[in-house]
Amino acid sequence: MTEVNGSASPADVHGTSDLVVRMEGVNKWYGDFHALKDIELSVNRGERIVICGPSGSGKSTLIRCINQLETIQRGRVVVDGHDLTAGGKNVDIVRQETGMVFQQFNLFPHMTVLENCTLAPMKVRGISRAEAEKTARKFLERVRIPEQAEKYPAQLSGGQQQRVAIARALCMNPKIMLFDEPTSALDPEMVKEVLDTMIDLAREGMTMLCVTHEMGFARQVADRVIFMDLGEIIETGTPKDFFGNPKNERLKNFLGQIS
Amino acid sequence: MPLIRPFGFNEFWIIVLAAQWTIALSAIAFAGGGIGGLLIALLRVSDTKWPRLIATGFIRVFQGTPLLMQLFLVFFGMNIFGFAINPWLAATVALTLHASAFLGEIWRGCIEAVPSGQREAATALGLRYYNRMRYIILPQASKIAVAPTVGFLVQLIKGTSLAAIIGFTELTRQGQIINNATFSPFLVFSTVAAIYFVLCWPLSVLARRMELRFSRATAR
Repeated sequence: MTEVNGSASPADVHGTSDLVVRMEGVNKWYGDFHALKDIELSVNRGERIVICGPSGSGKSTLIRCINQLETIQRGRVVVDGHDLTAGGKNVDIVRQETGMVFQQFNLFPHMTVLENCTLAPMKVRGISRAEAEKTARKFLERVRIPEQAEKYPAQLSGGQQQRVAIARALCMNPKIMLFDEPTSALDPEMVKEVLDTMIDLAREGMTMLCVTHEMGFARQVADRVIFMDLGEIIETGTPKDFFGNPKNERLKNFLGQIS
Repeated sequence: MPLIRPFGFNEFWIIVLAAQWTIALSAIAFAGGGIGGLLIALLRVSDTKWPRLIATGFIRVFQGTPLLMQLFLVFFGMNIFGFAINPWLAATVALTLHASAFLGEIWRGCIEAVPSGQREAATALGLRYYNRMRYIILPQASKIAVAPTVGFLVQLIKGTSLAAIIGFTELTRQGQIINNATFSPFLVFSTVAAIYFVLCWPLSVLARRMELRFSRATAR
């Protein structure tokens, strides 16, 4: 294993188990289209997972099941001990503990950067504005855009917007971060600044699931890389095995196309 | 006093003053329709089936029947259910329901025009329905809604003229009354029309300006 993995185990363990996401026999259909087929996936605390695959393979759908932006028809999803399929309060708890970053940033255009970052902590966690703003400025500092706090999203570049989106998610102190193709909508020269932010986050021991086509990022930070096609997990492995010694034909094909 | 008197300044002034009832009726229907319309719009975008069906049914009924029939049904319906005949109340209730249905449908469209990513981002942050609507969806939807809402207000003001038929004395009814005394229909109804125009035209201009400003703001 890499040295990044060695430093992964976080000093403070919140939950009772090291298993933070568990998907068992997960199936999802959109009408007749079978989007996820018998997905089995376990993620440990502090683990960094990269999910890749051709478009329409179900990778975005998979991570959207973890905070129930998508509901599943069969199987079980348990996040940090909370069974999402049991419904009720569990869904709210899981969403509070899970941060998500979207391809299209999805910042709130009618609010300043600072307001984007403080709304959920104030309304969901119930903390004071002063406290929320302090936390927000801390995270904006960490994604290296503290000077943009009073601006509106439309005044920022794509890369800056995506870093605000990361800061906004971090303000909720999530235990897990989900990234849904965070660099796919960016101009090439802005991809690096967002990836660097994500690498920093990985170094700090955050549990991360990233859907991305950035194979350099996967090589550098992933503990495991997952390849999906047609709604199934086809192959899983360490970056070394995954890129160096792919077994499945479809994966070989895919790697041939993107490199 | 002669049976037919000429159309003078007095008659003109009586018609102008009647405009206050048109304005009052429009204002009440618009305010009531604003509250009802928000409710209808929220039911219409609900995640559960029944509220959605009820709201849709309500909208279809009011969009599919003439406003005059709605006025008649409320007016005569109140009588059947044992309430005294009251044109004021009937006109207010009917126009409020009418405005609720139309504003509800307009605002539903505005709510749905907010990109779905906004709702998803808010949901992913743990915000629940009320906070999502209040802080994320409705503020963005209301910007889109301003122009079509003012446009509907113009329709509503003109629509109040039908209340004349159930005997509510607003601008149009006052015109009819004056006409019965002066028998100068062209003069009388030109005056009435001019007053409607003075009320509605600035609003139309305002709506068009806001629409232009909005499309410029979203074009970037």
